[in-house]
Amino acid sequence: MTDPLLELRDLRVWFPIGDGLFRAKRNLRAVDGIDLRVAPGEALGIVGESGCGKSTLARAILRLVRTSGGQVVWLGKPIEGWSTSRVRPLRRDMQIVFQDPLASLDPRMTVGEIVAEPLRVHARDLSRAERRERVIDILARVGLPADVVNRYPHEFSGGQCQRIGIARAMVLRPKLLVCDEPVSALDVSIQAQIVNLLQDLKRDFGMTILFVSHNLAVVRRLCDRVLVLYLGKPMELASTDLLYSQPRHPYTQGLLAAVPVPDPDLQPQRLGGALGGELPSPMAPPSGCVFRTRCAHAVAACAAAAPRLQSVETGHEVACDRWREISASGAVA
Amino acid sequence: MSQDEAPVALDIEQLSVVFDTPDGPLSAVNDFALEIRRGECVGVVGESGAGKSQSFLAVMGLLAANARVSGQARLGTEPLIGRSIAELNQFRGVKLSMIFQDPMTSLTPHMTVGEQIAESIIHHLKISADAARARALALLEQVQVTDAPRRLDQYPHELSGGMRQRVMIAIALACDPEVLIADEPTTALDVTIQAQILALLAKLKRERGMAMALITHDLGVVAGIADRVAVMYAGRVVELGTVHEVLKAPKHPYTAALLASMPRIDDTGTGPLPAIGGQPPNPRRLPPGCAFGPRCERVDETCRAARPALTGHERRVACHHPLERP
Repeated sequence: MTDPLLELRDLRVWFPIGDGLFRAKRNLRAVDGIDLRVAPGEALGIVGESGCGKSTLARAILRLVRTSGGQVVWLGKPIEGWSTSRVRPLRRDMQIVFQDPLASLDPRMTVGEIVAEPLRVHARDLSRAERRERVIDILARVGLPADVVNRYPHEFSGGQCQRIGIARAMVLRPKLLVCDEPVSALDVSIQAQIVNLLQDLKRDFGMTILFVSHNLAVVRRLCDRVLVLYLGKPMELASTDLLYSQPRHPYTQGLLAAVPVPDPDLQPQRLGGALGGELPSPMAPPSGCVFRTRCAHAVAACAAAAPRLQSVETGHEVACDRWREISASGAVA
Repeated sequence: MSQDEAPVALDIEQLSVVFDTPDGPLSAVNDFALEIRRGECVGVVGESGAGKSQSFLAVMGLLAANARVSGQARLGTEPLIGRSIAELNQFRGVKLSMIFQDPMTSLTPHMTVGEQIAESIIHHLKISADAARARALALLEQVQVTDAPRRLDQYPHELSGGMRQRVMIAIALACDPEVLIADEPTTALDVTIQAQILALLAKLKRERGMAMALITHDLGVVAGIADRVAVMYAGRVVELGTVHEVLKAPKHPYTAALLASMPRIDDTGTGPLPAIGGQPPNPRRLPPGCAFGPRCERVDETCRAARPALTGHERRVACHHPLERP
């Protein structure tokens, strides 16, 4: 791999939870030991069920939540412990698109002001005219006409608001775009438009994308590599091709099998093979492998030690000690 | 007995819903017609604002106060539209039940799970509290709630989203309904829990011979459990047929475009998705002619001039230029 744009070393985000006045504080391990190298221009999908830590991980990278241990390394420099003022210039290169397109736009600002705001913070030397030009340019790039600048967010549909949110994130031409469930709140017919837009932007700007999503079909379409998380821990990390064609971790296999396909010849059988059980409480994760309580392949040894990511082949790592005995089933063509 | 011969459990004809708003009347549902037979699941598919929920809220008598409903809906032989609340309550929760998308806000936060299930049983079946509790326990076990005896005394906030939806289903089933309306029952759930709930609904339908309407925006969800599918767009049914007919050989360009635009987990393609351009129409400013016309690849003058009627008998489509398959 070329020098990574972003590297995570044993990254941890633990939230202290007070159980009550007299009880000791405990930690909720939202992200618990993530190692990752993200190459420039790569689109990395981060997937898992609600509560797996995927949004917290994305926010920790942007330093929107405080990390509890490990390192975030940006362009070779560890940025842990940097003050807010020291981190601020980096934000120019790291931007985020949120799930709820309308709630993430200030209702009292015009679209022009919203999209220009990052420029006012990070590109203060631009003249008013230059700023306006940059705003109109990026709006055109996301498929919005110039005359939207004087209108307000409530005048737009969900898909258009998401385009505005993407324009705001892209106006600084960031190196890294973090997308936190960017199509989940959109209608089906609009999702494809936004997925295509992100693909175009990635290609045209050579941008790196971290794509946090529970929608595994969208991730397959858009991402080059995928990280599967469960209770804050990595389960599998592989190129998109390998993850979907030869999933190795029983959790990945269960997740893929649960995604419905709009084909009545296939879907009824798929329903029969759904992963059982529910996510255990993150306050009391199982010992050893955190997935073992839902795993059909679990044996006594799985309770003893937490498996680390191990290499299956180049570009494919799995955190399961039994992967050699488990067939790469659950593959979805 | 095949489904064709099974008696019609819910029969909806010419149902229309108009909301009176400060900006004038807003037409949400037009000429909705559907019959659902015993033992049959009909998927009702569409995007936000297509009218799928409003149609069935009208059937349940649960629309907002500013709604005006016309048309017919019959539960067996009992008419439902225009009945008083007291009259409707003889059927609702008994022969006709509904479950909703958000299992948190649909449950009462200050009542235990057992009380909420038993409430409906005691009210409608006039049995003792002990008998109702026993029945509540049996229902929780039927909907595969783990650790059911303990759950009876828990409150909704103590349960996960998936468990809450199972409790909602138990309440809906408490009085052995003939018809179950499920409005986006899995949309708020994780994909793994969604698969579990859909498998449960399929099993309950099979075992109980209920008629079921499954309202969803997800064509993948209907593929697993629906026998027939109605596709709605801008307040109207635009296509109706068996699940195989509609998903494998769609006739309406909207259905075909929606299927093509959905990224699929079993699709290895990496190029752009064939997206549908434009936006779903504003119900206040519907175009003349076909509502899908402005987004349709097959649109022509006929489509712009006249709205296509829903034609056909079992297999229906509302399009001037339906897709033909060999």
